[in-house]
Amino acid sequence: MRPTFVFIILFLLASRASAQTITDHLMMPKKDFCTGFLYTYERWKDYWEGAQKRDNQNIGTLITSQIMWVGNYGLTNKINLIAMVPYVKTSATAGTLAGMEGIQDLTLAIKYALVKKEISSGTFTAFGILSGSTPLTNYTPDYLPLSIGMASTTVSPRLTATYKLASGWYALASAAYVWRSNVSLDRPSYFTDGNIYFTNQVWMPNQFAGFYSLGYNKNALQVEFNLTQQNTLGGGDIRKQDMPFVSNRMNSMRLGVLGMYYLPKPKNLALRAHVSYTLNGLNVGQSMAVMGGFLYTFHFVKNDNQ
Amino acid sequence: MALLAMPFGCKDIGSSENLFPLTPANVDANAGTWKTILLTSANQISIPDPAVTTQQATYLTELEAIKDAQSKLTADQKRTIEYWSVGGVLRWNQLFRKLVAQFNLPPVPNVDGSYPFPDSENPFSNPQFPFANPPYAARAYSYVHVAMYDALLAAWYYKNLYKSSRPDSPYEVDNAIQSLMPKVDLPPYPSEEATMSGAVSEMLKVLFPTAVEEITKLAADQRNAVKWAGKATDTDIAAGLALGKAVATLITANSTGTFTLSGASGAKTINLSLTLASRGRFRTDNLGAAVGSAASWKALADAAIAKGETPWISLEVPPRPPMLPGFGTVKVWGDPGGATPKADNITPVLIIASERPVAPPSTTSEEMKRQLAEVKSYAKNVTRSQISIVHKWADGAGTYTPPGHWNDIAEEYIRDAKFSEVRAARAFALLNMAFHNAAVGCWETKYFYFNPRPGQLDGSIKTTTGVPNFPAYTSGHSTISAAAAAVLSYLFPQNTHYFNDQAKEASNSRLYGAIHFRADIEMGFSHGSKIGSYTVNFAQTDGAN
Repeated sequence: MRPTFVFIILFLLASRASAQTITDHLMMPKKDFCTGFLYTYERWKDYWEGAQKRDNQNIGTLITSQIMWVGNYGLTNKINLIAMVPYVKTSATAGTLAGMEGIQDLTLAIKYALVKKEISSGTFTAFGILSGSTPLTNYTPDYLPLSIGMASTTVSPRLTATYKLASGWYALASAAYVWRSNVSLDRPSYFTDGNIYFTNQVWMPNQFAGFYSLGYNKNALQVEFNLTQQNTLGGGDIRKQDMPFVSNRMNSMRLGVLGMYYLPKPKNLALRAHVSYTLNGLNVGQSMAVMGGFLYTFHFVKNDNQ
Repeated sequence: MALLAMPFGCKDIGSSENLFPLTPANVDANAGTWKTILLTSANQISIPDPAVTTQQATYLTELEAIKDAQSKLTADQKRTIEYWSVGGVLRWNQLFRKLVAQFNLPPVPNVDGSYPFPDSENPFSNPQFPFANPPYAARAYSYVHVAMYDALLAAWYYKNLYKSSRPDSPYEVDNAIQSLMPKVDLPPYPSEEATMSGAVSEMLKVLFPTAVEEITKLAADQRNAVKWAGKATDTDIAAGLALGKAVATLITANSTGTFTLSGASGAKTINLSLTLASRGRFRTDNLGAAVGSAASWKALADAAIAKGETPWISLEVPPRPPMLPGFGTVKVWGDPGGATPKADNITPVLIIASERPVAPPSTTSEEMKRQLAEVKSYAKNVTRSQISIVHKWADGAGTYTPPGHWNDIAEEYIRDAKFSEVRAARAFALLNMAFHNAAVGCWETKYFYFNPRPGQLDGSIKTTTGVPNFPAYTSGHSTISAAAAAVLSYLFPQNTHYFNDQAKEASNSRLYGAIHFRADIEMGFSHGSKIGSYTVNFAQTDGAN
């Protein structure tokens, strides 16, 4: 491998190592370990009650901040292991409801490079990813919009395809199906989607997760536009003047812009920033999210490319 | 991956409790002699002797209709039979809880910051009618269960009266008819299922006018189920339906005069006549005055200020008018009345104002400061297990309310005790009358003192459940739960300990959630126990023991 190519790989890896590490088109080489912390600040004032957009003066602005540890290890050049753990804190600027905070879910993923092919002046790559997540703490999902998560255990197979030109332009599409386990509430009954349930168990509809990006990178700079899609395959709407419920049909389409810079010094340190906004949704807040953080790569094996 | 071995989402989580086909431990054949609640007596409404209404030929035709239906039962119809064979009283209680949860949503504020009020004449508009909040629900639960109970007492009276005219169920008369529900050794005329279907559905239609279609279908299903199951003929069903409707009319009639109540099933129609000298209690119990007016809300605040206290204010934005401030004047079960005939047959008489708890600590007192500090410490240091208790008992907007939660708890015990339909109806009637009385007593107290919530006195107090939009003193959850423990402990004495523990937990949940002071929950609890004891005293003398 040529040194510049490795540079770009590291650069891109660092830039996308949030949930995007799972969706992106990059692989850590064997015995490399990339790790770091990413901070996200997200807020919304308007939300969709079903399809009806509104605000709520008893919530004001809902703020979620999160610090996430992320790690990505190259088991082989073709197999990467990824792990993420966020600490989440919520609050509302109005009303009486207390915020919540705590360690949320552990995400583990295994990513396998299925196909890599030169086509005309670019490279086509396809990945298969299996990821899963499970709550690490006993937080309640029954306190939306102030719960720190959904408390569901998930398993999610994903396919990603990407095409990158030698000039640096690339396009990527990634799609996953997310199986979600039932969740337990602290109460013995609930009403959702037109029915009453006399149990503390909630069936969680599965989800489709899409990620689409167009980007450019060359040397130390990268810019990417991306769309993140979440479609919940079932579930009820938030009723008029009701609180959201964990199994609601929460759909969203978010537009994001990624900006990223790889420091010449210290070596192996990447800084990244990502801003995203909900274009459209159902039963979710219309949020603006800003993320920033750093990632550092350790090389456990000296190789010719260093 | 280990994750793959985790149990995964299963849609079939069971939307209803585990109920089993009901074979009563005792059919309570003498229930026609038990004390009625609103009917002057079990035979206030007369129904005809089946020997007179049904000639032999008609009877045989009705048996043929059952055989014909049984010969072509669809899978859906079999499911309907199974659904209702667990006991109609338990099913209606469940269905009722669903309707309460569905309609328990507050109105959305207007653009100008004012709030609209639900309007029974315009129920489909925004806001929907009703807003089935806790006091509204407590009253509704009590009326429907009283109607169901009185109607069944009348049904049992006539089953006994006409047992020689109609001793046997269809499956006992004709070997070609199968019994597809558990056999119950009671005369089939009038059908108890049809009786409750008429009484309950007519009550629910008045309470939830936009759900008439759903209610009508469920009631018809229940009647069809007993016919398909070989348990009752069209005549048994028609008579029960008319009887049930008559009891509901007696309670909900909005005018006086003579009413004709018609019960129809298959080719059979039975008409009953009911003459009422006064409007139904449901129309005259003073609920209409419960909402109040801007002037009456201000008067409540002025009265608190005149006493040197800080008056309650709404913590919602925009400020929402207090929930049903006049609910404390709604007639209770055991009301002394003054009207003729007396409002109900319940003794001892309950005078709500005489049972009112003493004043809470003054908002300016040291004791109040101490109690406020205690609430604040819960707000700041609440544990996960306390949050779990807060959420277990929150029963707030969009749920079946605290009375609904206690009906949910009671259901399991009624099921396990294998109560007959009439005894199950009695249990729910007693429980829900106590809830209504507790709600009235609590509301009378809340608006007499008009005391602020902790979060009003200290804006830094954040809560782990919504702050209810009415004064703090006393706690409705505590009052309702203590009344529940009193009645359930009477019905199921071997579980007294459990009911008291649960009631205490429900009461404490409001302190853990930082929405109530200790005085609210402690005084509410003892108030609720006292009010519940009135219902227990009545139960001890109603002839059912």
